[in-house]
Amino acid sequence: MRQLKVALVMLLIGGVLTTVAFVMAFTTAEMQRFGTVTVDEPLDTAFPLMEVSERGYTYERPWFSQKIFYFHVPVAEASFLVFGVAAFYSIRFLMRRRKEFDTKARLAMETAIVFVTLTMITGILWTRAAWGVWWEWEPRLTTYFIMTLMMIGYFVLRNSIEDEERRATYAAAFGIIAFINAPISFFITRLIPSSHPVVFQSGFATSNLIPFIIAQIGMLMVGYAIYAIRASEVRLEERVDVLKDALEG
Amino acid sequence: MDPTNQEIYQLVLHDAPYVIGAYAILWVALMAYVGIVFRRLMRLEKEVAVLEESMERRNAAK
Repeated sequence: MRQLKVALVMLLIGGVLTTVAFVMAFTTAEMQRFGTVTVDEPLDTAFPLMEVSERGYTYERPWFSQKIFYFHVPVAEASFLVFGVAAFYSIRFLMRRRKEFDTKARLAMETAIVFVTLTMITGILWTRAAWGVWWEWEPRLTTYFIMTLMMIGYFVLRNSIEDEERRATYAAAFGIIAFINAPISFFITRLIPSSHPVVFQSGFATSNLIPFIIAQIGMLMVGYAIYAIRASEVRLEERVDVLKDALEG
Repeated sequence: MDPTNQEIYQLVLHDAPYVIGAYAILWVALMAYVGIVFRRLMRLEKEVAVLEESMERRNAAK
């Protein structure tokens, strides 16, 4: 019960922090100047005209879609971190063979998949706004997509094995192998040419950094809260099973 | 429409539906997930309470 109370407090603080970061992103954070928009008619505007093509008139303009960054990146980084927790408990399971580590790995993977899904959704909306397409097979998106598929594969594998010991062992091994994708996906935009923006590479104004850090801390708190609430649920399920067995026995 | 406003809407708020959509989906999905888990948690707590009561009654009857 103590863990649940801590989780609720974390969830509340995390919710407040991410909301504060959201408000700051639209009020105090500096508007990013790069980015373009294509309109049908020419405009009498101070923003520079970049290109005239059959698609229309392309102007440089403030990059409003960049505001997605303040919640897309914290969610994405939380997904990497929680995935790391799942891999950590998978290693511990293989070393110690204790059921609790398998449960913790499964719960962390479940939390990670929630964050991965939200990263994909917010990312796709940003891609549509910034690049004009819903999806592009560029290095970051492709490696992150592979990582998502492997996470789904983790649960498919778990559900396909009935024997508890074998299921835990195979899932742990698969979870560790799948985690290799996380650093690849994280660093790929820094290693090979990619159209995906690289955070912090081209400098970052303090007014942008503060809401980002607040959102990041808030999102990690929400991540811990989800994990801890699910852990409390699993403990209660185990308690129900023990009581049912005792009553039947 | 005022031309200045029109310009701002065309140039800046072109992305607004995606930004609003991303934030709304993020929070609605997270709240829905936490809400579902909480409902299950409450149900399990009730189940544990009922089973513990049955257990106590059985022990008292012995």
